[in-house]
Order: sequence, then structure tokens, then C-alpha cells
Amino acid sequence: MKPKVAFFDFAGCEGDQLQIANLEEDLLTLLGQIEVVSFREVMKEHADNYDIAFVEGSCTRLQDEDRLKQIRKNAKVVVAIGSCAAIGGINSLRNYKDLEGVKKTVYGENAKLFDSYAARPIDAIIPVDAYVYGCPIDREDFLHVVKSLLLGKKPETITYPVCVECKKNENICAFERGQFCVGPVTRAGCDSCCVNEGTICWGCRGFVDNPNENSHKEVLIKYGLTVDDAIGKFKLYFGWQEAKR
Amino acid sequence: MNALIKDDSRHVIGVKSRGNKFAFGTLESADELRLDYDVTLLPPKKYFFPQRETLFTYDLADGFSAKNPEDAKPMVIIGVHPYDIVALLHMDEIFRDTKSDPYYFKKRESSVIIGVNIQKMSKWNFSSFMGCSVIDYGYDLMLTDLGNRYGINVGSSKGEALMLRYAKNITPALARDIQIAGQKKQEVWNMVQQKLDFPAELIPELLGASYAKSGFWESHSEKCLACGSCVLVCPTCYCFDVKDNPDLTLEQGERIRTWDGCLLEDFAKIASGENFRATRPTRYRHRYFKKGKYLYDRFGFISCVGCGRCSSNCLPDIANPVNLFNDMYHESRNSGVQMPSSATQPDVNISTEGNIDYVPELGTIIKKVPLTAYETLFEIKLDDGSELGHEPGQFVEVSVFGIGEAPISISSSPTKKKTFELCVRKLGNVTRSLHNLDVGAKVGIRGPFGKGFDADSMKGKDLLFIAGGLGIAPLRSLFNYVLDNRKDFGRVTLLYGCKEPKELLFGDELALLASRDDVEFKSTVNWCPENEVWSGSIGVITTLIPQVQFSPEGTLAILCGPPVMYKFVIADLKTRNMPDENIIMSLERRMKCGVGKCGHCQINQIYVCKDGPVFNYSKIKGVPEAL
Repeated sequence: MKPKVAFFDFAGCEGDQLQIANLEEDLLTLLGQIEVVSFREVMKEHADNYDIAFVEGSCTRLQDEDRLKQIRKNAKVVVAIGSCAAIGGINSLRNYKDLEGVKKTVYGENAKLFDSYAARPIDAIIPVDAYVYGCPIDREDFLHVVKSLLLGKKPETITYPVCVECKKNENICAFERGQFCVGPVTRAGCDSCCVNEGTICWGCRGFVDNPNENSHKEVLIKYGLTVDDAIGKFKLYFGWQEAKR
Repeated sequence: MNALIKDDSRHVIGVKSRGNKFAFGTLESADELRLDYDVTLLPPKKYFFPQRETLFTYDLADGFSAKNPEDAKPMVIIGVHPYDIVALLHMDEIFRDTKSDPYYFKKRESSVIIGVNIQKMSKWNFSSFMGCSVIDYGYDLMLTDLGNRYGINVGSSKGEALMLRYAKNITPALARDIQIAGQKKQEVWNMVQQKLDFPAELIPELLGASYAKSGFWESHSEKCLACGSCVLVCPTCYCFDVKDNPDLTLEQGERIRTWDGCLLEDFAKIASGENFRATRPTRYRHRYFKKGKYLYDRFGFISCVGCGRCSSNCLPDIANPVNLFNDMYHESRNSGVQMPSSATQPDVNISTEGNIDYVPELGTIIKKVPLTAYETLFEIKLDDGSELGHEPGQFVEVSVFGIGEAPISISSSPTKKKTFELCVRKLGNVTRSLHNLDVGAKVGIRGPFGKGFDADSMKGKDLLFIAGGLGIAPLRSLFNYVLDNRKDFGRVTLLYGCKEPKELLFGDELALLASRDDVEFKSTVNWCPENEVWSGSIGVITTLIPQVQFSPEGTLAILCGPPVMYKFVIADLKTRNMPDENIIMSLERRMKCGVGKCGHCQINQIYVCKDGPVFNYSKIKGVPEAL
């Protein structure tokens, strides 16, 4: 029997679900292996009997917690997809600011009507079985996790940083191009896609398990960033993880 | 050159510019070739040992079938600097060690290497100090820039044939050409900006004296990002990981190998979670030791050619071997540390015995006996009807296709001929999947691998088996062999300890030992919950040792257990005056390839998978990371 699969979204841009909807030639093969029972972005139907829940977006409100706990209760396997769900993501940028100020900026005088707290990954609320990192997720990486789950295998989590992939791809290091990159402390698995295109790694897959952050901040400063800018490099995606370290 | 490029039977590769750097790539025309480069981003080894390589493709639709990848076109690689040529010679020896790697050699042997003498040198290069900046061997052709023309040294008949076919206007070298070529080679010596303050042949000894130097490795590696850049760009690094990559149908897929690096966090981590080099300083040190001592002890060469790629790719600037070696040299001179002479080394056997086969044989699970909640005994028969032909203590690599491969020690005695048994603990993906398979299911088997117990040399001796936890599994292969040939051996004692009664393995078999008067058996658990029955001792395994009598000289102690067990058991045996040579043990490491190639199980110059897993204590007690 095909496992039943549901997709959910919290605070996020839904770009990860879009990546899945855009699987193109792989989509039909995938649908031969799973039965999608809920996927708001692409279908009207919804059911609560699912085996695997893919959750996008970070948790930003108390009421999100109840919904997450219900998903956890219904599903055998919960997978966090995308940076927001997996590591807190770009939403965590606001955690560095005064929350009331943030609300006022977004909602103006209606700010008091909206309940909110520091953005956090879903594993701050419920246990998570697997992660698909990235902003947005990489389709191959998503399929890797799906295949692993279908085979009854715990998806391997890459523990090395993006530098490994850059070196294999023979990229010229961003630092040698006069740019500043957080690839040396960022979990790989993206095949260094941004650097392959001549830009930098912004850190969307989050820290590796044991990053040497101090050393990397020194590197950023040695290559010419101000201390504030070096710290800023870490804020974009690592906000929640840094606060936890 | 353009005629050569147009020749469709070959893949013509050369150095091309990439941004303000250089890289080896496919040549579309002769104009792209840049022989005036300083260094390439990656060394040319990527053509013989690619970043990602398919070992075989498989199809489970109709049982199991595997296909080797098709051979690629022969290559001509143009513009290889001398240090990278020497590095290829290092790789040749490594990939030939004991068993040849067919994937590497197929490509290597069909290729032509056209070297070029260094015209510009990277500021990080110190190849002159490593004896690799100018060479007289290792190439098929070697080019030297003589100003308006190139001098060509012929290094092989393969190279000569290529030259005669494609080089236009070649004339025999005149005296002045030879003189200019000589001068050009001399000039290379003046280009070096990195200076090693002592002769490179001292490196192995210096490293040997610095292994345990307090604070040295910690302070040098403090800034290490563990990003692996230094090893990934290295022309002599050869470590790899092996993975299964199923397609979305889950029925077809491929087994691939990808570059790995000993600086990366999980490199020496095994399925139980134990990481044999968990900290950055230990991994950082391992890299230098591998280059400067371990491979030297094994092959006799320092596995560094001085290309400087590691130095130039290290953002915190801590990977430069010249800096580290110079620090080590000056500190040892100042502190007057005495250089140690070589300690007793384990036997390292380097000979070539045919090719490695990465494609497993097919086997069928014919019996599955659960032993505990986590361990099951699998009885397996090879589908081609052949015997495994193992010796006690050896292991096999077991494949569950789509999941991967894991090393499992053989639990049955070689006297059991038609089938063999594996006692498997549910730990990682492969072992968990194995537990989910039913009788009749197919698995892949490679092996047997490694050096097992030399049962013949044990004949006539008293044997004291000491097993901790799952360590009973490999010992059982020898223990049962001894029981099947009982008259050949002296007294036989088995001491077995595990955490608690429910973790006891082979309980039924062990219970039968009680009725035998030719075997002494004692067991212990660390603790026993109140509601369980336990008739053995309570306490760690070492509490059993004082309970048995043995003559230290005439007894062989045979040990297998978790890494922590060895230290304590050996200490106790030593207090009973047991000679080192009488202690035999089986070690556990991450044995990914099983054939001494992937580097994961390496401790010092030893590959646990092929020089072990069974070792004599006298041979490994001087090996710092073994125990």
C-alpha cells in the first residue's frame, strides 16, 4: 500500500512546496509511490489520515504549536522541509529585534490584534524525524529523503560544510573573488549551487553540527569585513541556531 | 594538437583558464591550452579517481543483476606539472596495494600523460623540497618551454608513438636546446617561495616524536573549520565513501563512491555512534600523520608532493605543511626532544593479489533466529552454491540493495561449510533493513575479508576467550571451531560479560557448555534488574579474570568487545604476567570498502579491514590510536 502523504505550511513563503509541485518528469513516478491526501497549494481535498507529514514554515505563534502537535499525533513520520521549518530560517531575523516594533512595522496600528513570538523551527515544538534543508529546498534532496523513507531507511544527514562541494565542483573560492561566504560553517547537500553560479553561500541550510563559528568570523574579518558585518552574515539564516548555541 | 583533439578515439584534456585560476578540462581547441599556469584548482587525479563514480548499477526487478559502468575513452592529459605526476605515482601504489582497484587502473593504464616543466609557480608551492619540482620519470612525454619552441622528453613508447603521430616539425635536440632545457629546470628551483628549514626525510621521525606533544595539535588546529578543503584538493588523498543511490522506482539504482576526507566530522564514526576521531585536533593531526608518517611507514614515501593546494585553500591559513613542519622542527630542536627510533611495527603485507570486486555475490537468508531485542542471527547461503571459505575472525560486507553495505563479522565456524552465520545488531540503516528482511530474501555478500585468527598456530595451547557484549559474535567463529576440533587444543575457557541478562547472546548454546567438562565457562552482567533471573556473576568482565587459573606462558588470551574493554582486560592480564604476544584481539573500525582503499578504518599505517581486524597485541600496543 502506498504511504499517505500530507503537506502543511506555517510561517514561510511556500516556496518549498512549490519546488515539489514543480518536480516535472519525476512527479508522476513519485505519485506512483505515494498517495497525497493533503496539499493545499495544489489540491482542494484534505484528509487527516496520513503517514508522512511534510511541514514547511517556522512556528511563530502559540496557536501554531497546537496545530503542529496535532500533525505529530496524526503522522508516523514528520519531515521538516525548508529553512524556516528546519532551522527557523530567515524568519528568525526578527528575533534580533524588539517584537513589538516588528509587529508595528508589519501591521501598523492593528499590531495589537496579532499574536506572535520569536520565530523558531518546528523541532522546537515537536520531534522531527527527517529534514530537507534549503531555501528553497533542492528537488533532488527532497526526493532523496522520500526514497529513503519509502525504503524504510533513516535519511542520512550530511554533516560536512559546503566547502566540500565547492572543492569537488572546482569552484573558485568566494573569498578569492573578493566576496564573503558562510559556506565553511553551513551544512552541505545543495551541491554548492549558489557558488557554482558565481555568488556566495548565504547559509540557508543552517550550521553544520559543530561549526567553528569564531574561527569563521575571524576569517570574515581577516578578509575585510567589519565585525558588525561579520556578525550580520551569521544572522541571515543562523539566528535561531546561534541563540541556542 | 588540433589533429589530436579531433581524433575521436581519445578524450583530450589540458590545462585551461577558469576565471583568474586554472583547471584541467576537455580541450576544444589548442588555443585553450595554458602551459604557463601556476597551479590547477584540482589535480588531474579527478580523471582516474573521479569525485563521484558509479561502481555498478543494479536492477532488482528480476532477482538482482549488476552491471559495471562502460569504459570511458582513453585520455590524453596535457600540461601536468611534475609534482602532480609524482602524486599520480603515489596514487598508483595506493590503489595497487594488496588488491588492485580496476576502476582506477582501467583509466590510468589507457591514458597518456604529457607533462610540462613548471613555468610559473604558485606562491604556496614547495615541491622542490619534496623532490617533485623536476622529474625524470612518470610521464609519457615531458615538455620544456625553450622560448619559441618546446623541448620534448620521451618517457614511454606510448608517448613516443603519440608524438610521432601528432607533433609536427620535430627535430632531434641540439646541444643548445639541451642546455636551455637544463637552465629552465634550474630556474624552477629559484621560483620556490616556501622554505622547509630541514631535509624532508626527517618528517616521519619528527612527526613520530610529536604525536603526543601536549598542546601542539590543539593550538595548531584551534582555527580549523573542519571544512575538508585541504584534503579535497590534495593530489595524493584517496579516501572515499560508498553509497547506494536508488532511483524513484526503488527497483533500480547504482552504488557510487564519492571523495571523502579525514578532516570531516563523521569520517571515523561507526554505526554505534562511536567516533574514533571525534575532535578537530585529532583529525587535523591525522591528516599530517597520514601524509608524513603512516603512508611513509607503509610504502616508504612521504605522501606530499609540495603542490601547496592545501595551503592556498585554507581560509584560516593553518593547513600549510611547511609552517607546521617548520614549527615542529624548531620546537623539537629547542626542547631537545629525542627522536624515537622506530617502534615495533605490525606486519604490513604489500603485494598485489588480483583485482578488487566491488560487485557483491548474491546470497539468500535461509534462517533468522532472534537472539535479543536488537540482535538476530542470520544464516546465509551463497546462491552459486560455493562455500564462503572464511577463517575464524574474518568479516563480510553485507549489502541490502538501495540501502547500502555494512561490515559484519562472521559468527560461524569454518567447519560449518555450506552456509555461514552473521550475528547482526540493529544499529545503522543497513543492519536495521537486514532485520526487516524475511527468510528467502536476497542479500549481497563481498568477502570474506581481513586477517582472522590463525587457528593452526593456536593448536596445543590453552585458550582463554574473553568476550564483551557483541564481541562474542566474531569470537564464536573461533570458539566453535575449537570445539569442533577439541582435541587439538589445551584447556579452553570462555569469559563473557554483557550489560544485563536480556542482552546475553547465544544463551542456549552457552547453557550447553555447563554440561561439558572440557570447557570452562563463566559469565557476568554489569547489573541485573530485580525481576530477572541470573545465575552468573554481577560485575564488569574484569571481575571474572581473577576467578580463573591459567598459565600465562602457555595460554593465549583471545579478546573481543567494545573499545573500552581492551584497556582494562589487558591491564589485568598483564598483572597476571601474560606476555604481550599471547594476547590476540579483534578491533572494530569503520570498514567501508573492506579492501584497504577507502581510508576510513586506517589507524596509523594499518588498515583494520585488511591488516586486521585480528591483531596480536604485541604488534599494535605501540600504535597510538589502536586501543
